[in-house]
Amino acid sequence: MSDTVLLPKRLRAAEVVVALKDIGRRVESGPVTIDFRDVEEFDSSTLALLNYVRDRLTNVTTVNIGGALARAAESFVSRPPAVEPELPRSGNAAGRALTAIADRFIFQMRSLGRFLAMLGDEVYHVGVYLKERKGVYPGETWNQMFFMGYRSFPIVCLLIFLVGITISITSAEQLRLFGADIYLADLVGIAMLKELVPLMTGVILAGKVGAAITAELASMTVLEEVDALRTMGVVPEKFLMVPRLLAITLVVPLLVAMADVVGIFGGIVVARATFGTPPSAFIAEMVTAVDWTDFGWGLIKTVVFGWTVVVGSGFKGLTVGRSAEEVGRATTESVVLSITLIILIDCIFAFILY
Amino acid sequence: MDIISAHDLVVGYGRTEILRGLDFAVPEGRITAVVGVSGSGKSTLLKTLAGLLPPLSGGFDFAGRPVNYRSEASLRLLFEQIGVLYQGGALLNSLSLFENVALPIRMQHPKMPEDMVRDMVFASLAQVELAGSADKYPAHLSGGMTKRGALARALVLDPDVVFCDEPSSGLDPITSALLDDLLIRLKETFGMTLVVVTHEIRSIERVADRVLLINDGGLRFSGDYADLAAADDAFIRTFFLRKDSHDDA
Ligand SMILES: Nc1ncnc2c1ncn2[C@@H]1O[C@H](COP(=O)(O)OP(=O)(O)O)[C@@H](O)[C@H]1O
Ligand SMILES: [Mg+2]
Repeated sequence: MSDTVLLPKRLRAAEVVVALKDIGRRVESGPVTIDFRDVEEFDSSTLALLNYVRDRLTNVTTVNIGGALARAAESFVSRPPAVEPELPRSGNAAGRALTAIADRFIFQMRSLGRFLAMLGDEVYHVGVYLKERKGVYPGETWNQMFFMGYRSFPIVCLLIFLVGITISITSAEQLRLFGADIYLADLVGIAMLKELVPLMTGVILAGKVGAAITAELASMTVLEEVDALRTMGVVPEKFLMVPRLLAITLVVPLLVAMADVVGIFGGIVVARATFGTPPSAFIAEMVTAVDWTDFGWGLIKTVVFGWTVVVGSGFKGLTVGRSAEEVGRATTESVVLSITLIILIDCIFAFILY
Repeated sequence: MDIISAHDLVVGYGRTEILRGLDFAVPEGRITAVVGVSGSGKSTLLKTLAGLLPPLSGGFDFAGRPVNYRSEASLRLLFEQIGVLYQGGALLNSLSLFENVALPIRMQHPKMPEDMVRDMVFASLAQVELAGSADKYPAHLSGGMTKRGALARALVLDPDVVFCDEPSSGLDPITSALLDDLLIRLKETFGMTLVVVTHEIRSIERVADRVLLINDGGLRFSGDYADLAAADDAFIRTFFLRKDSHDDA
């Protein structure tokens, strides 16, 4: 017994979609005959439908295809076969997917390798520069310091202050339940020095400083300025990166010190407003919980994040493709890369430190 | 004397070969034009000769010594002997024209007294008639000025060979002719060797002593410009046909 689908007189894209659904459903329960007897009005979607059922559906017979439609179908069928995208030729879809994933993985591993190689080179370049004072444009470190500080100071202070207030308000509520008001000082001190200031500063550096570095170096690469440096006998990885690395190393301590103060100030404001704790009592309590070691570790962490941002964004900038559009993409990728690395490294620090 | 000679040179990127089996020589003190349609691999060849892109196989000698891409010393030696004029100029935007031209001196000879640096920079800028614009920034230079400024930077340390990638691209015919005159003057007054990439027939006609014609992944013609016209080759005819129509006009 064969199911018959009688197609309508007008069979254009809208009707084709409906018919295809119908056919698909019926095919599951047995052979189907498609009757084209009534079809008068058709277009390329009709022809595509015809092709589709003939090529893909084995249980389907087509009948009563009229003269005009048949002629159109013939020329349609004789069009060149669609070019399959060239994929690694392994038999099935799963195999192809695996190959694609493997290729991607190898590519990522290679990038990681190049990134680590660059990190090593940069440490070497900075060391050699500090000894020989050569290969870098005079005064460039100061320019970069000014530029980085100018870009990041205001926003770091503002955001850290807001974060300080937010975590204080959130924790105050909990602490009040236990009558442990004064411990807000300990909590804010620890959270700020050890975790929030380094992490927030790192993320803001990734967005403000890292993105700018990638954009600048990527456009220099695309405009052949990096090639130009090389043929002048300058090592671009040194000339461009060393001033930025030195600058970030010098700017971060200032940033961290400032941010610690501002963040704790946020806590003081909240403690004063909700519990009436005087600032002096807040600070007296805080210093029982935190000391210079905590500040030091926070600082070291932030310097590591800063280097991560500069090397990561420099890497993205210098390995950009050759068209202008890729500058934008490299910039986005650089921010994502930096933030990912920062969180990863922060996690490693957490394991080491606690 | 040939200052560059390539042997069975293959240039390209990664696994993609762009030009194969190149054997040619660049004579000293002459202008050699590298000619070919857009995308044929002229810039790729230039990058390889300028020490920026390792050959995929084969190699080339520069001033009688094979260039070894694996040796930093060999590349450094090459960089000391060449100057490159990039297609877009490639001046650093953050530095004034003066500082751009001074950059190679400051980097190669950090101990050079400032007075000497100034003299060298102004001498180089004067050659390209830009001494008056020394304090301008690249963003404020016209296309022709940018190219000339970049040429001044390429010349400031007196290279033996100057590579120019499409010096006249993006310039009006008059500015481009002036730039060509400048290249000829460098050859005639300083005996400089120039390798000029171009696809402008007029420019080839004006400047070229020798021609390397690139087509279809290889070298189609290598020889004196004078012999080019005599070459019995369909592609060469087609390529230079435009010249005739220009002349008619
Ligand atoms: N960085 C690159 N990576 C891969 N392929 C490239 C790169 N640069 C150029 N190509 C390719 O090499 C070929 C030659 O390019 P190019 O040397 O710039 O040509 P020309 O200078 O003669 O116009 C082109 O097909 C181009 O797409
Ligand atoms: Mg080119």
